[in-house]
Amino acid sequence: MFKRILIANRGEIALRVIRACRELGIETVAIFSEADRGAAYLELADEAICVGPPRAADSYLRIDRVISAAEIGNVQAIHPGYGFLSENSHFAEVCRSCDIGFIGPTPEAMERVGDKNSARSLAREAGVPTVPGSDGLVSNEQEAVKVARDVGYPVLLKATAGGGGKGMRVAANELALASAWQQASAEAQAAFGNPGIYIERYVERPRHVEIQILGDQHGTIVHLWERDCSTQRRHQKLIEESPSPRLPAETRKKMCEAAVRLAKAAGYYSAGTVEFIVDQQDNFFFIEVNARIQVEHPVSEMVTGIDLVKAQIRVAAGEKLGLTQKDIVARGHAIECRINAEDPAANFRPCPGRIERMIAPGGFGVRWDSHAATGYMVPPYYDSLVGKLIVHQPTRREAIDTMTRALKELRVEGIKTTVPIHLEVLANTAFHEAQVDTTFVERMLAK
Amino acid sequence: MSASDNPDDVFNVKKVRRLIKLMKEHDLSEIDLKQADHRVRIKRGGEVFTTTSFPTSQPAVRAAAPEAPAQQSAADARMLVIKSPMVGTFYKASGPDTAPFVKVGDRIGAEKTVCIIEAMKVFNEIPSGISGQVVAILVDNGAAVEFGQPLIKVDPEA
Repeated sequence: MFKRILIANRGEIALRVIRACRELGIETVAIFSEADRGAAYLELADEAICVGPPRAADSYLRIDRVISAAEIGNVQAIHPGYGFLSENSHFAEVCRSCDIGFIGPTPEAMERVGDKNSARSLAREAGVPTVPGSDGLVSNEQEAVKVARDVGYPVLLKATAGGGGKGMRVAANELALASAWQQASAEAQAAFGNPGIYIERYVERPRHVEIQILGDQHGTIVHLWERDCSTQRRHQKLIEESPSPRLPAETRKKMCEAAVRLAKAAGYYSAGTVEFIVDQQDNFFFIEVNARIQVEHPVSEMVTGIDLVKAQIRVAAGEKLGLTQKDIVARGHAIECRINAEDPAANFRPCPGRIERMIAPGGFGVRWDSHAATGYMVPPYYDSLVGKLIVHQPTRREAIDTMTRALKELRVEGIKTTVPIHLEVLANTAFHEAQVDTTFVERMLAK
Repeated sequence: MSASDNPDDVFNVKKVRRLIKLMKEHDLSEIDLKQADHRVRIKRGGEVFTTTSFPTSQPAVRAAAPEAPAQQSAADARMLVIKSPMVGTFYKASGPDTAPFVKVGDRIGAEKTVCIIEAMKVFNEIPSGISGQVVAILVDNGAAVEFGQPLIKVDPEA
């Protein structure tokens, strides 16, 4: 087992990893940018090293400085968290060549699943259904027209190097395709440095359902069931829950098995998520793999009772998972709300600033994962996540009630947050009746 | 000039307290504000500052502390610090048996290499960036340094 780990991240996920390490008896080295200097969670690490000025590109994304910090911090491994360098196979490769453990998949597995297009090919090989679409990247507008005709409108143009819901454009018909193609390619180049686009049929009003998988270095791969993340706004998840309401048992079983097959085909180990969309007829289609621990991992932890971050660390240290699929039982219902520093009344404009007063909710079945506290300055340089509020109760109805109660108890004063939107969603009849797809939030807001 | 309730006065208690609070929040070690011929300079670190009246042309807001530090902090205030531009290990010389790049008292130019910071087996020569006289070397040879860490204190007016 590692003696010391460096956490190459910040905020709530850095705190999450620090907590897991403290419980495992592993020392921690945290890194921070000048914008995060003085943050309370850093005091929980055994050592904290400044790696640069505020901008992520000058600090958290600086591989050289992260590795140097790992060297002077005397660590045996690095946990990359999510975002930042977590899906950067070059970084994973650098760790390997510096003999520092990377707590995640191998660089090769990461590349196999990270490129959206190659992941689709892998899915097809593994007998995992994919959305009807182009066979690889589309080279030009003329080809796009041909592919779109074969696939059938409406179509979705997606950046192969995209992720996090970015780099996507819908074209409802052939007239709209030309401009959609030009915009998508330009955006892809600008945002990801890779103009590659592939085309899929656009599934209308899909549900977003993802499967948590976990593998060790000894060939065992299991799933921890699903999370339904349909409550999104502009492809950014707001609320996640497990189990996925209204998902037939047979569909759930097939999706979970497909996810494990895909992970095996990719030679994947550690934690990962296989994302699917589910159409109105309960057909499911593979979208992409997230080769990292995800923001919403606590949802799966609550229903299965398995600490995913500890599992990642143990797997990276070479231990066997010690679990078989039949050991993994989902109990009750869990919901997570991502509390962001954004103003819902001002088009969700980010609201960095000082939290004048914060009171965390509590009680039976309530979990609050946050690095923030009274007096904390939410910096403007990173994502706007202030904290994750998670509840777990025996039924969905009770989970909704507890989440509503906990959201009302939560106080974050001095900045605006998305709490009012969460409350609105939780009070909505369509949400109660689980008639939710990825267009739901925007339709609700439009009213 | 004494601490007043006039909100336009630089020595207004509320304003000064707010400045101190801002300094703590943003981890500033020093601010120096001028308004007409009034001036407020506040320095953090080790000493606690509260408002008090101070009849000279350079009022520094400070606590019940002896007079000598006032002159010392005036001198200290003009010192500049060479900060580490990277994460790594600090070496004062290019080899274990070589003379250090700089020592206290040396006059240096901005291009002078003042130390080496080693990271990932690469030895990076760090230029001064400041011309003046070396006042202090703040880091031990072979110590780990983080980004922004103060390495060498230089008096730019010497």
